[in-house]
Amino acid sequence: MKDPEAREEPSSGAKIGLPGFKVRKIEEEVYEVFIGPQHPGSGHMRLITRIDGDVIVDIDPDIGYVHRTMEKLAEGREYIKNIPLFERMAIHDACNVTVPYVRAVEKLLGVDPPPRAKYLRSLLCEINRIAAHLYGFGIMGIFIGHSTMYMWSFGDREVFIDLAERLTGARQTHSYPVFGGVKRDMPQGFPEMARKAVRYMRKRLPEYEKIFFENPVVRDRLEGVGVIPRQVAAELGLVGPTARGSSIKYDARLAEGYDAYPELDFEIPVYTEGDSLARTYVKIEEIKQSLNIIEQCVSWLETREREAPMHPKFWEKSPPLWKKVYQETGRIKLLPIFASLKVPPGRAVARGETARGEIIYYVESDGSTKPYRVRIVSPSFRNLPVFKYIVPGHRVMDLPAIYGSIDYFPPEADR
Amino acid sequence: MSLLQLLLDIVFYPPIFQVLVVGLIVSLIIVVITIWFERKAAARVQRRLGPYHVSPQLGGLLQPLADLVRYAFQEPIIPRTVDAAIFVVAPVVAAVLSIIPLGAVPFTSNPAYWPIPMENSLLIALALSTVAPLFIVLTGWASNNKFAVIGGVREAFMITAYELIAIVAMLAPAATLSTFNMVDIVEAQASLTWFILLNPLAFIAAFLAVVMSTSGFPYEIPESENEVVAGPYSEYSGILYGVNMGANYLRRFALSILIAILFLGGWLPVQPGDGLVAGYLIPTIVVLAKALIVMLVASFLRAVYARFRLDQALEGAWKYVFPLALIGLGLGIIENLLL
Repeated sequence: MKDPEAREEPSSGAKIGLPGFKVRKIEEEVYEVFIGPQHPGSGHMRLITRIDGDVIVDIDPDIGYVHRTMEKLAEGREYIKNIPLFERMAIHDACNVTVPYVRAVEKLLGVDPPPRAKYLRSLLCEINRIAAHLYGFGIMGIFIGHSTMYMWSFGDREVFIDLAERLTGARQTHSYPVFGGVKRDMPQGFPEMARKAVRYMRKRLPEYEKIFFENPVVRDRLEGVGVIPRQVAAELGLVGPTARGSSIKYDARLAEGYDAYPELDFEIPVYTEGDSLARTYVKIEEIKQSLNIIEQCVSWLETREREAPMHPKFWEKSPPLWKKVYQETGRIKLLPIFASLKVPPGRAVARGETARGEIIYYVESDGSTKPYRVRIVSPSFRNLPVFKYIVPGHRVMDLPAIYGSIDYFPPEADR
Repeated sequence: MSLLQLLLDIVFYPPIFQVLVVGLIVSLIIVVITIWFERKAAARVQRRLGPYHVSPQLGGLLQPLADLVRYAFQEPIIPRTVDAAIFVVAPVVAAVLSIIPLGAVPFTSNPAYWPIPMENSLLIALALSTVAPLFIVLTGWASNNKFAVIGGVREAFMITAYELIAIVAMLAPAATLSTFNMVDIVEAQASLTWFILLNPLAFIAAFLAVVMSTSGFPYEIPESENEVVAGPYSEYSGILYGVNMGANYLRRFALSILIAILFLGGWLPVQPGDGLVAGYLIPTIVVLAKALIVMLVASFLRAVYARFRLDQALEGAWKYVFPLALIGLGLGIIENLLL
C-alpha cells in the first residue's frame, strides 16, 4: 500500500472550476477513512470522512448506491402500478410514502375519497409511523452499542406490523391507498386488537425510557451531540423529527391537512435543544400522539356504518356481489377500471408527512394511462446535507449517534 | 501404577497444572459458559431465546463450542497487504500471554502446590497481566487496514487508562496487610473479612478495570462495530479471529481469578488440607467458581449499557475511576494503620 504522504497533489484538479466541485488538499495529519458502503455502520451509502486524531474534520456523504431510477420507472407504468413501486422507498413506512402520490393523482382525477377511506388511510399511516420510529430506535440503539434497545424495538414493531397485516393483508408493502379510496375495510375484531396494541405500547414506552433514554451511558452519548441550531435547520430545509428537534414546528399533516388529520386531535411535539437526544424524544412523543390518533380513528370507524370505501365514481362501477361482500366482510377486489385508468392532463403536487419528514410528489399527466412525469422529493434526501454541516468537529464515535438520530434511510433518499 | 503416578505428577505439577490445565482447558470451559451466559442472559433481557439449536437439552450451552469448530475449519485468509508474520503471531502470543499470570497465582495455601515461591506473587502476577494487550495493538498495526489501525490506537488509549487503575486497585489489599504474598492476603481474609467488604472502593475500581481491559460493555470501544468494523481484528478470519476473540476472554478470566483471590477470599471458606484432592483440587474449584461469577457479572453489563465514547471512557477512567482506585489504596493504608 502506498504511503498517503507520498501522494502528489492533483495538478489538473485546481483548473476545474466547476461549481460544487471541490478540490481538496491532502493534508499530512488527516486520515481519510471510507466508511461504507460495505460497513456495519454505514447503511447503503459511503461516508468519506477525514479524521484528525479522533476528530472528524470533514465528511462527504456519497449516496446513490441504491438508486433505482424510480422516477423514470414510474413513467413506464400505469398509475396504479406505481403505488407498489413507490412503496419500495421505505417499505416499513409504505402507507405514508404512497398517500401523497395517490392524493396527487386524485387531484388530477378530481375525486376525493369518502370520509371512511380517509380515516382508514390515517389509521394505517399512524400504524406505519410507529413501526418506522421503532425501526429507527432499533437502528440507533445498535449504532451506539445498545443491543437491548435494538431487540426490544424490533420485537415491539412486530405488534404494529401484525396490526397492519390484519388491516391490509400484508405485513409491509400494503399498497393500501388506491385512487379515490382504500383497498380494504377494517376487518372484524380489529378495533379490539388495535386497542390492545395501543395499551401494550403505552406500557412499553416507560420501559424504553428506563433502559435506554434515561440510561446514563446513552444520555452521555446523545446529549449535546450533533446540535443543529434552528437557523441552520431552517436554511438547510430540514424536515420531520430532525427539524422538530430544532424547534421548527413544521408538519405536513398540519400544513396540508390531508386525509382525516384536520378532524383528528393531535399535537406536534417540538423540542428546542436540537441535539440527538431531542430528535429522539420527538420520536417518542410522536409515537404517543400516533397511539392517540389510532384510538380516535378506530372509534370513529367502529361507530359508523360501512358505506363505500371508494369514491362513487369508481364504486358504482363495481358489481353488486362485490358490494355485498364488502358489506359483510369489508373485503374488496381491486376494481378492474384502475388497470387502464386514464388521468386527465394536468399537473398536481401533493405532500405528506412520513415518519422521517415531509415527502413531496409532483405528478404530470398527458392524458394517457401512464404518468408523463413523477418527481419525488423524499425526506431523507432533504435531511442529508446536515451531515456535512453538523458532523465536522465531532468525535468519530459520535458519527453513529448522529446518523441514528437523523434516521437517514438510504433507499428512500436514493429512490 | 507408577506410570499413573508419573502422569499425575506431571499434570498436577503446579506450574503445568495452572498454566496448561487451568489456563487452557478449564478456561475453555469457563469461556464457553461465559459466552453462553452472555448470550442467554442478554436474550432473556431482550425477550428472545438466544442460542438454542446446538444442544437444546442443555439450553444451547454447546453453541460456543460449535462456533469454535466452525472457526477452526474456516479458511484463515491472510491478505496480501498485511505484515504476515506479525499478523499470525501476534494473536497467538496475546492469547498465550493472557494466561501466563495464572502461573504466579496460588490456588491453595498448601506450599506443596504453589507454582512459584509466593513472597512477591502479587507483583509478579500484575506485571505478567500487562504484557498481552500490547500484542492487540500490534495486530492492529500489522493488519494495514485503517479501521484496524484506529482500533489499535483505541486499544492503546484504553490500556493507558485501565492498567494503572487495575494495578493501584489491586495493590490496596497488599497495602492493608503490608505483604505482596497472595497466600497471606487470602489467609488474612479468613480472620478479618473479605476485601470486597473491607475495601469496596478498590474492588469497584478493579472490577471496572477488568471490564475495560477486556472490551466489555460499556467499554467495548476498540472493537466498536459501527465505526471501526471489528477494530484491530477487522482483517482476521477463521481460527485466527477465534484466537483473537478467545484471548480477550482469557485475559478477563486471568484478571477475574486475581479479583477472586484478592477481594473475594480466594479458596475460602475451604481450608486446604493435605493431599492432592483436599489440598489442591477443591480450593482450585472454589477459586474458579468465584472467578466465573465475576466474569458472568461483567458479561451481563452487555444487556444494560451502550458503549461509551472513547473520550468519555478515558475521561471517566482518569477523572473518576483512577481517583477511586487511589482512594481505595489510601483506605488500604489507613486500615493497615488501624490493624
